Amino acid sequence: MSGVLVYIEQVGGDVAAITRELLGKGRSLADALGGPLAALVIGDTAGNLPERAIAFGADTVYTVSNPALAGYTTDGYVAAAKAVVEQAKPALILAGASFQMRDFGAALAADLGAGLAADAIDVSVEGGQIRAVRPSHGGNVISTYAFAAGRTAVVLARKQSFAEASEQAGRSGKIEAVALPAAAIRTKVTSVAPKTGAVNLTDATIIVSGGRGLGNKDNYYKLIPTLAEALGGAYGASRAVVDEGWVPYEHQVGQTGKTVSPKLYVACGISGAIQHLAGMRTSRSIVAINKDPDAPIFRVATYGVVGDVNEVLPLLTEQLKARLSR
Amino acid sequence: MHIVVCMKQVPRDNSVKLNPDLSINADGIEKIINLFDEYAVEEGIAWNEKHGGKLTVLSLGSTEWTEQIRRALAMGATDSLLLSDPAFAGVDTLGSARVVAAAIRKLGDVDLILTGRNSTDDESGAFAPALARALGWPQITYVGKVQDVNPATKTIVADRNLETVIETVSSPLPAVISVIKDINSPRYPSLLKIKRVAKIDPPVWGAADLGISAADLAPAAVLSTRAPAPSRPKGEMITGGDAAAKVSALVDKLLENQVI
Repeated sequence: MSGVLVYIEQVGGDVAAITRELLGKGRSLADALGGPLAALVIGDTAGNLPERAIAFGADTVYTVSNPALAGYTTDGYVAAAKAVVEQAKPALILAGASFQMRDFGAALAADLGAGLAADAIDVSVEGGQIRAVRPSHGGNVISTYAFAAGRTAVVLARKQSFAEASEQAGRSGKIEAVALPAAAIRTKVTSVAPKTGAVNLTDATIIVSGGRGLGNKDNYYKLIPTLAEALGGAYGASRAVVDEGWVPYEHQVGQTGKTVSPKLYVACGISGAIQHLAGMRTSRSIVAINKDPDAPIFRVATYGVVGDVNEVLPLLTEQLKARLSR
Repeated sequence: MHIVVCMKQVPRDNSVKLNPDLSINADGIEKIINLFDEYAVEEGIAWNEKHGGKLTVLSLGSTEWTEQIRRALAMGATDSLLLSDPAFAGVDTLGSARVVAAAIRKLGDVDLILTGRNSTDDESGAFAPALARALGWPQITYVGKVQDVNPATKTIVADRNLETVIETVSSPLPAVISVIKDINSPRYPSLLKIKRVAKIDPPVWGAADLGISAADLAPAAVLSTRAPAPSRPKGEMITGGDAAAKVSALVDKLLENQVI
C-alpha cells in the first residue's frame, strides 16, 4: 500500500475546485508517503478529466467508464472504486465531503474495512502514519485521528480546507482504464430535478442570515435578501425562523442545517444559540447586528453593532449599494 | 412489514467538556433523541400506520437510554431493542454498524431500516452507509421525502435532497434509508401514551447474544489528540453615534480590511 488516490469530481466538464484542492494536498501527502499521486475518474465517459487531473498533479489516472455509471449510484460507484483500489493499492483515498461523496466514501470505507474521517479539515503524514483532523460536537471539539497502519484510510475533506493545485502545462502522466466489475446496481435513479430557488450556501463566499430579531417574515424578506444582494452573497436563516416557517429549511445555518465557512457572515437579529454558532463559527469574518448587547453572537463576532436590525439594515444596504457601486 | 428505526441518544446541546482520557464529557446536559433520528421515528410510525406490522426502535448504547426509547414507544413504535454491552463502549461507526447488522440479522424479518442523516454529536453521517454495506443492502441517504413504500412489490421510492438537486431513487427492499430534517413533523406523544409505556424496559442484547467478537469492534483509526475548538480572535464593537454613524463606521472597517 502506498500513495494517495484522489476522487475526481467534475463541474461543467472540468475538475471541480474541491478536486484541485485535493490534488494539491494529495501531492504533498503522496510525497510524504513515498508513493504516487493517483486519481480516479468514474462515469459513463471520462472526457478530458484524466488530462486535467494530470495537469493538476496526478501521476496516474484510473478511469472506470461504463454506461451504467452515467449517474451516481452507491453500488455502481463503490464497485468501480474498489476495482481501482485493488489495482492502485493506495494508503489514502481523498474525496470531497458533499452529500454524494459522503454516501460514496462511507460505503467504500465500510467495504474496505477502512478508517474514515468525514468532513476533515486537515490531513497529514507524520512518521509514515496518516492523520486526519475533524471537528465534531457542533465545531466545539476538534479531534485528530491516527489511522491504523496497513489499512486504507478514507478522508472526505471539507471545502476550502486546502490550497488549490496550480496547473502545470505539458505535464505528462499515465492513464489506465479499469473495467467495471459485473456488479448488480440495485437502486435506480428515476429523476434528477434542479431545486427551485436552490441556494448552495456551502459554496457562498458571503452569507447574510436573519433571525428572530427581525420580528416577522415580511421584515425578513424585505431586509435580508436585499442586503445579501448588495453584498453579492446568499441569504441564510437561524433555526428559530425556519421552525417558525418564515424561510425554507434550505436556508438554515446551524447544526441541524448547513455548516458554512464563508469569507463574510453577517448575522442579523440572531442571538447566537450554540446550535447556530456550530454552523458558522469558522467563517473568516463575522458581522453581528443585534439589539441585545449581551447576545452570545457578539462573542464570535469580528465586528459587532448593537442596534435594532429593522433600523440598521436599510441603512447598511443603502451605504453598501452606494459605496460598492452595485 | 417490519420497520426498524435506529436512533441514538445525544446531548441536547454541544457545550461538552473533555475527560482526561479525551473522551467526551456531556455530564449535566439533558439527553435527547438525536434530532435527525426523531424524524426517522416519525417517518417509521407513519409507514407502520399505513402498512401495519412491527415498528422497532433500536438503539446501541448504555442501559440508561431507556427514557429516549420510551419516548419513541410513546410516539407510536410497537417494539424496542437495546444493544448494550461493556464491550461496545467507545466503538466507532464501522463497529456500531457491525453490531446493529448482527441484531438486524437476528431479528430476521426486517424490511426497512430508517435512521437520521447523522448524529448531532459525532456528525460523520457514515452510520447508514456502513450499516447498509454490513448487511449487503442498498441504501438511500439524505432523504427529504419517502414517496412510497410498497410491501407487495417490496420496493421503496424516495427523494434524496442533495445540495442543488432532488434525486428520485427507487430501491428494492430490504434497504437502509437516512432522513433529513424537513421530511415530516415529529408528533408529541400524549400523556396517556407516555404513562402507558412508562414501565416498559427494552429487551437488551449484548455481544454474546449477537456473536460479536473483539475483532468486529477493533477501531480503524485511533484518537490521537482532541481539544476544544480554538476561540475566535477578540472582535470589535462599533460604538458611538446613531445607527447611521455606526453603519458608516462598520462599512469603513469592512472596506479597510478588505472583508468586502
